[in-house]
Amino acid sequence: MTATDESLGDMLARRGFSRRGLLKFAIAMTASLALPPAMAAAMAENLAAARRQSVIWLSFQECTGCLETLLRTDSPTIAGLIFDFISLDYQEALMAASGSAAELTMRQVVAANKGKYLLAIDGSVPVADGGVYSLTGGKANVSMLEEFAPDAAAILAIGTCAAYGGIPKAFPNPTGAVGVEDVISNKPIVNIPGCPPIPEVLSGVLVYFVSFGRLPDLDDRKRPLAYFGTTIHDQCYRRPFYDQGKFAKSFDDEGARQGWCLFELGCKGPTTHNACASVKWNDNTSFPIESGHGCLGCSEPDFWDQEGGFYTSLAGGAGPGWRESGIAAVVGIAGGAAAAFAARHKTPETKE
Amino acid sequence: MKDFDFLGDDRLVDALLMEVAVLLQNFLSHQSAGAIDLLGLPLSPACLAALEERLGEGEISALLRVSGESQIRETKFPGVWWTRHTDETGRVVALLIEVAAVPEILRASTSDMEHSLKRIREVSNFRRAGQTP
Repeated sequence: MTATDESLGDMLARRGFSRRGLLKFAIAMTASLALPPAMAAAMAENLAAARRQSVIWLSFQECTGCLETLLRTDSPTIAGLIFDFISLDYQEALMAASGSAAELTMRQVVAANKGKYLLAIDGSVPVADGGVYSLTGGKANVSMLEEFAPDAAAILAIGTCAAYGGIPKAFPNPTGAVGVEDVISNKPIVNIPGCPPIPEVLSGVLVYFVSFGRLPDLDDRKRPLAYFGTTIHDQCYRRPFYDQGKFAKSFDDEGARQGWCLFELGCKGPTTHNACASVKWNDNTSFPIESGHGCLGCSEPDFWDQEGGFYTSLAGGAGPGWRESGIAAVVGIAGGAAAAFAARHKTPETKE
Repeated sequence: MKDFDFLGDDRLVDALLMEVAVLLQNFLSHQSAGAIDLLGLPLSPACLAALEERLGEGEISALLRVSGESQIRETKFPGVWWTRHTDETGRVVALLIEVAAVPEILRASTSDMEHSLKRIREVSNFRRAGQTP
């Protein structure tokens, strides 16, 4: 049996995972994807029988942050092994081949998987001046997208740039950057926005596609409903403070130290749909609000050009102001330096 | 989470017990297992604790060690199971009330048993040949 015709169930058995392990993974995935628990057994059965899913990943006008964060999902777990099972047939930053050899590989994969491969895109698509602002091998990104989209089963627009144009689209948008759905309109597209996107959301979408052969339910912005159905604010652990009217007024006041709501410091949680507050980051460790900073709204269209900027509250308040923040930062640094100096110069007798 | 606060924990627990009753009736009528995903519901820790207490502890408790630990415990109502799955880091990835004669995850699958048969035959063949597998 070759690596390409081995089923996922056989591959997991070869690696020492029982079907119970796969069923447990499916139970966790159905919970993550907000599917009825009864679907777990069907998902496990379909996953066990699944064959390798070809993925062609094209990077356009991007910073590689999306790829960086998604690579962090690598772990010796079933989720990690399913990522191994996905056949990432073309990804310029990761593949060993380059130049014409890489191009040849891509064309062979496309021919062999016509109508079946997933086309993953990160980065926006610059369309001004014939797309000349971002080229691969002399070919404009927009031309590549138009060439490879028709034979794809579906398109994954990964990150806010691919979904909505993101930072390259920020005013004055000199390259004419747009999202994938502004170029391709006749293919199933799933947007997985975020700057970067949450790795577990991509895992969930891939597992759903491999299990059921179609994309999960999407909202009106083509985002997976299970992860983008509610706002950060709805799921935020600081929400009770919002309801009680307890707000931090600056990043170092008593309210901030007490962990009160960051709304008045410009938090965009109430208008941002994403799963940061529930799935969190870095293996469920934390998310920006838990680290003391408001949500920037990075998974929403045009987040970089929001009126008032990141530190103006959604209610239109002025926020902390740069001068105050700057003074607070200087005081904090100076205070920290003074404390460090004092600690270094304590005599043994004065140590507590 | 605020949406259900007006109900109070006791009424939420009562509503969930009614849902368990529906699943039990469904199982008895159609032999079809069911489950409630507790992580997907806006339940406070106090409400979860109250629900767990109301369901109580039954005769069977199993610990599954695969990709983290899973505790599968029958409640004081036979056929109603409290199932808690954690991942390798100890994070709870699924918390379910299952209604079934036996939760599916406790059954050995046919493919795993076929694998067992193959391995046992290999071991006995090695022994017959006087080798250590």
